[in-house]
Amino acid sequence: MSSGQVTKRVKYKTSVKDAGTPGRLSLVKERLLFRPNNPNSASKLDMQFKYITNHRYTKEGSNKAPMLNLTSNQACSLFAYGVSYIFEFERYEDLHICRDFVGRALAPPVEAPNLGASSQVPSEQPSRDDLLFRARLLQDSSELQKLHQQFVGGGVLTEAEFWATRKKLLEKDSNTKSKQRGGLKSSVLGESKPLIDGRTNRVTFNLTPEIVREIFSEKPAVHRAYLNFVPSKVTEKDFWTKYFRAEYLQRSKNIAAAIAEAAEDEELAIFLKPDDILANETRRKIRRVDPTLDMEADQGDDYSHLPDHGILRDGSKEVPEPGNELYRRTLLQDLNRHAAVVLQGTPIDEEQLKDTQTVAEALERSKQERSTASKDDDSMADQERLKGISQAMTIDDLRGSNDHHLAPLWIKDPRDYFDSQQASSFRTSMEATKGSMSSQEAYGLLRESISQIKSMGLNHPIVAPEVAQKVLSVLTHNISSTKYNLGKKPGESLLDSLPTSVRDELLHHHISIEELMKHFWSSYPITTKYLNTKVIKLKDEMSKMDSQLQKLKETVQPDIRHQITLLIRPMQQALEAAMQHYDAEQQKRASKAREKPNGYS
Amino acid sequence: MKFQIEEVTVYFPYDNIYPEQYTYMVELKRALDAKGHCLLEMPTGTGKTIALLSLITSYALAKTESPIKLIYCTRTVHEMEKTLAELKFLHNYQVKHLGAAAKMLAIGLSSRKNLCVNPKVSSAENRDSVDAACRKLTASWVRSMAAENPNQPTCEFYENYDRAAGGAVLPAGVYTLEDLRAFGKEKGWCPYFLARHMVQFANVVVYSYQYLLDPKVAGIISKEMQKESVVVFDEAHNIDNVCIEALSVSVRRQTLEGAIRNISRIENEIDRFKDIDAGRLRAEYNRLVEGLALRGDLSASDAWLANPALPDDILRQAVPGNIRRAEHFLHVLRRLVQYLKVKLDTDKVEKESPVSFVASINSDAGIDQKALKFCYDRLHSLLMTLEITDTDEFLHIQTICDFATLVGTYARGFSIIIEPFDERMPLIPDPVLQLCCHDASLAIKPVFDRFQSVVITSGTLSPIDLYPRLLNFHPVVSRSFKMSLTRDCICPMVLTRGSDQLPVSTKFDMRSDPGVVRNYGKLLVEMVSIVPDGIVCFFVSYSYMDGIINSWNESGILKDIMQHKLVFIETQDVVETTLALDNYRRACDCGRGAVFFSVARGKVAEGIDFDRHYGRLVIMFGVPFQYTESKILRARLEYLRDTFQIKEGDFLTFDALIDVMNIELTDRNLNQRQAAQCVGRVIRSKADYGMMIFADKRYSRHDKRSKLPGWILSHLRDANLNLSTDMALHIAREFLRKMAQPYEKTGSTTGRKTLLSQEDVEKLGNNGAQEMLY
Repeated sequence: MSSGQVTKRVKYKTSVKDAGTPGRLSLVKERLLFRPNNPNSASKLDMQFKYITNHRYTKEGSNKAPMLNLTSNQACSLFAYGVSYIFEFERYEDLHICRDFVGRALAPPVEAPNLGASSQVPSEQPSRDDLLFRARLLQDSSELQKLHQQFVGGGVLTEAEFWATRKKLLEKDSNTKSKQRGGLKSSVLGESKPLIDGRTNRVTFNLTPEIVREIFSEKPAVHRAYLNFVPSKVTEKDFWTKYFRAEYLQRSKNIAAAIAEAAEDEELAIFLKPDDILANETRRKIRRVDPTLDMEADQGDDYSHLPDHGILRDGSKEVPEPGNELYRRTLLQDLNRHAAVVLQGTPIDEEQLKDTQTVAEALERSKQERSTASKDDDSMADQERLKGISQAMTIDDLRGSNDHHLAPLWIKDPRDYFDSQQASSFRTSMEATKGSMSSQEAYGLLRESISQIKSMGLNHPIVAPEVAQKVLSVLTHNISSTKYNLGKKPGESLLDSLPTSVRDELLHHHISIEELMKHFWSSYPITTKYLNTKVIKLKDEMSKMDSQLQKLKETVQPDIRHQITLLIRPMQQALEAAMQHYDAEQQKRASKAREKPNGYS
Repeated sequence: MKFQIEEVTVYFPYDNIYPEQYTYMVELKRALDAKGHCLLEMPTGTGKTIALLSLITSYALAKTESPIKLIYCTRTVHEMEKTLAELKFLHNYQVKHLGAAAKMLAIGLSSRKNLCVNPKVSSAENRDSVDAACRKLTASWVRSMAAENPNQPTCEFYENYDRAAGGAVLPAGVYTLEDLRAFGKEKGWCPYFLARHMVQFANVVVYSYQYLLDPKVAGIISKEMQKESVVVFDEAHNIDNVCIEALSVSVRRQTLEGAIRNISRIENEIDRFKDIDAGRLRAEYNRLVEGLALRGDLSASDAWLANPALPDDILRQAVPGNIRRAEHFLHVLRRLVQYLKVKLDTDKVEKESPVSFVASINSDAGIDQKALKFCYDRLHSLLMTLEITDTDEFLHIQTICDFATLVGTYARGFSIIIEPFDERMPLIPDPVLQLCCHDASLAIKPVFDRFQSVVITSGTLSPIDLYPRLLNFHPVVSRSFKMSLTRDCICPMVLTRGSDQLPVSTKFDMRSDPGVVRNYGKLLVEMVSIVPDGIVCFFVSYSYMDGIINSWNESGILKDIMQHKLVFIETQDVVETTLALDNYRRACDCGRGAVFFSVARGKVAEGIDFDRHYGRLVIMFGVPFQYTESKILRARLEYLRDTFQIKEGDFLTFDALIDVMNIELTDRNLNQRQAAQCVGRVIRSKADYGMMIFADKRYSRHDKRSKLPGWILSHLRDANLNLSTDMALHIAREFLRKMAQPYEKTGSTTGRKTLLSQEDVEKLGNNGAQEMLY
């Protein structure tokens, strides 16, 4: 993807009703290529974008298949002038990617320069790669998409501004680094018991893509057999029937029957034979095993284990059971193999778990990647391993304590942060507005009011004490009960107790406020006109957000209002702090402008 | 840190030292001063190896006028690698503080299989085929043939090494097997021959017991070690077994069949040589007449396994006349094999002494004792003359000749036992003729005689006074150290009941009870959910483990276990087990956590450490049993009783002695192999911690429990003696929580220091160590 090339599996059609030729569509910088799966097919295509005059596509959500229609004005060798090429995609995502690509490719080469026209405006022209990558990022995360829609779509932020704060996401590094994948489940899926219906002799096995993935990665020989035989030699169904027949024979420990069947059926024999790919891998791995636990090396060294030397039967050694080595595969071996595969992890994404074919292909690809990558890693890994061994050899508590580079854990209270923010913004606003009042004056005022109270007394309570008492007790009870419930159970959070719609709304608000705050605070100090307009726009959005929060608080059910208030408060505080800062700044600016009417604003 | 023990400055690569290590060093130094042998017992987890290494290397640095060499013997290759890793750490420290003066050469030595870098050779399956493949490329006659015929393949690494001759030396440093291979690859020299050559120049040599104890190997490799050497046998609680195994041979049907094939092959070779090069056989004959078994000096690459008898017992005489001719010798071998075949064809157990056995061979097969004795030499000479390189094909006839030589050489300390089947499986006929050595002191005697100091040390050597008797030597120092712990970092528990309060046991009548199987499974399911990182489980035997895992799998218990941790299992296949262990460690390292299922008497239990996060909990399912009815064990006990009677005089009566010996021997097996080996390897240092669960109702009985090592017993509280699953779970939770708290490492709060700093050690040096600890 980073090379600016898009390849998708498509069906190529000359008209909408045409059945189409399956193949691959690749889009590179200035041309598009179509390669049919069947190399003999005549419908190859290689065309430059500049000959394409128009493109249309089916809308998502319509009942039609995802299709892209390109109209060309080129009289190339095979196609007539003004002909249209239709590509049917497998999924809408594929279509969108190709559509965007084509759209960009067809766009006039010189785009209108950015409106801001100021040198400090982050307006570097994003490359096509970047655009593509951004589109993918948006696609990957619905959260990001929502934000993008809200702010960029709502005109609060420009595209460039939006992405400027997400440089990290855009780094090429993270591009190549795959996103975190879920690990494999520890339990053995393939071992799931066959279903036996009581009446007939039929045995049913269930097969899901996940199980297929497990089987293929644990038994490379089965994987290879699948790639070789299906569908050219046997059908998928036959393949799996044979596989499970072999498994069944193995599990029933009927070795004689297994041998007999294997002699008749060579494909079945593949499943029963020991896995040669695995054996090779084992041989390779054993060379790189941690030498401090390499028991295989002992066997190669120990001269007392010369055959027939030493004492054979003194009752201390286990006697190995004889068995038919060829068709013997035990549960223990399977378990070891399974755990090893789980530990190693498999490089297939969840999305690829669709059907057997895709799983098989994806595994094959990743295997190739890994084999090329592992060659480079080997020496590195060896180095690291040796370091690890020498580290493991040292005795921890005999070492001096000075080589611990650990800082004590310190969790900062987020409320402290906001309170201090508020205080500081108050201070600045105080300075701005009441800067003229001296401390002596303030002291005088205070004394005056104290003496007033002294002389008059507080003898006119605003509310009746009983009512106040009642309200207080209800409130405290409510608060203390939530307080008591909060954080008691580790698995539960306050958010989970809320209705999903409210929760989603809250989370969304939180993210949008975060985004706004990021932009807001990063635009200070305001030095250019551009920043000024940006801040104004942001401020408007912020006040909108504030009112939305208020509305949310009022509309929710009274029983969870308290919790909501608790959750909303930090957001409101953040907004308030920003607004106050804005006001103070604005006033300062205004007063400055008055003093120096010709000054730079 | 750097401190004085009397006149020796000890360089110790840590900032602190345990008091046990310090006293251990003091005792060791006294033994070295006295130039005598010593016996030292110190529990695992106290850093025995590093204390040993740093004292002996520092001692060598201090006494430059008479340089001593350290020969460090380990039981296995992986222990060798561990030792070398510690030595490397120490060496780096010493070089940093002393500069170039501290430089030394330390090498690990192993077989061709583990050292060969020639891809064509090292890809061979097992040790014997690697040896043979190497010989095919490096034997002297192959190389002289290659000089004439360029198409004859040779080993470029050996050729390069040979060309470099005296220039081929290892620079100072510590070399693990991997380092040796890397060095060999870089220089293009054969690391195996280079290492063997460098053994005589190295300051420290690390190899396995057999290289010193087994005459077949020691005769080649350890011939030229100087007397001023310190020999260390680490983890030596099984040393007597290694000694007797080194001198024992067993003959089975397969051996005899193979030997017959070998004889006919040799016959063919002789015929072939008669046609093309009759002179060579005549030359061999003449050489034998002159009394030389082998032609002059053999090149290193021709060396083979040496004589199975000990060097002092080998007769320096000419090969007797009746086997000088190759054909005659083959006839003798044929008759011998035939005789053994008849002997094997028995349906009852027979026991004979070597003397009567030799006598009956003489009368039945017409082979006299002297001819038997020279079988090894004669065969060796013949195979050399015939220029046979695929030695791995001739192992069977070699076994027969080793047997003959040993029978012919030793009249005492051995017996010949013929068993028609394994007593544990009486239905499967598998006759074995076993020549077994009973006297461990035979094999180790040359070592005690040759070297000035021999150190025998282990985590468990109790009863410590038994070893000098078994090995027949007089230690100048014999000490047993206790471990002082800073906190209760081990938590042994005896679990007698499952979660349903019914008793659990692997006793014969209960082991297949589904309730017991389920209770054991539930125990593990509960434990995997609360114990972090690694858990190790030991079962009494492979078959029991196989059965219980299968039924756990069927009942879904295994699935529950796997929800929390990955499962790895020891199998009888060593390669697979090694990979499983490696993966187990990875799983513990990466935080996923894993369970390792192992067998109490298996290879893993014998030598793999489950320290730190690799083993936070060890569960012993059942009581491992020793098969005490074995004929060989019985014969050995009898022999020991007889010899003890001679040695100890009259004050011990027969019966008492056999009882003592019996209990001691079986105890030792239970004690060390099972309990100490299985559960004792969870502690790496005083900062480490771990739990052990003995899950069998029989452990609550005093006589079973008392066989556990003392340091475990001392932590076994009465409250933990009779637990059910839920109670054990509660205790485990509490223990783990307690261990997670910070604590005072030096133990100064408890009054007795468990960790010494530089100052403490200096103070100790002035006042003398004794008063502090005792």
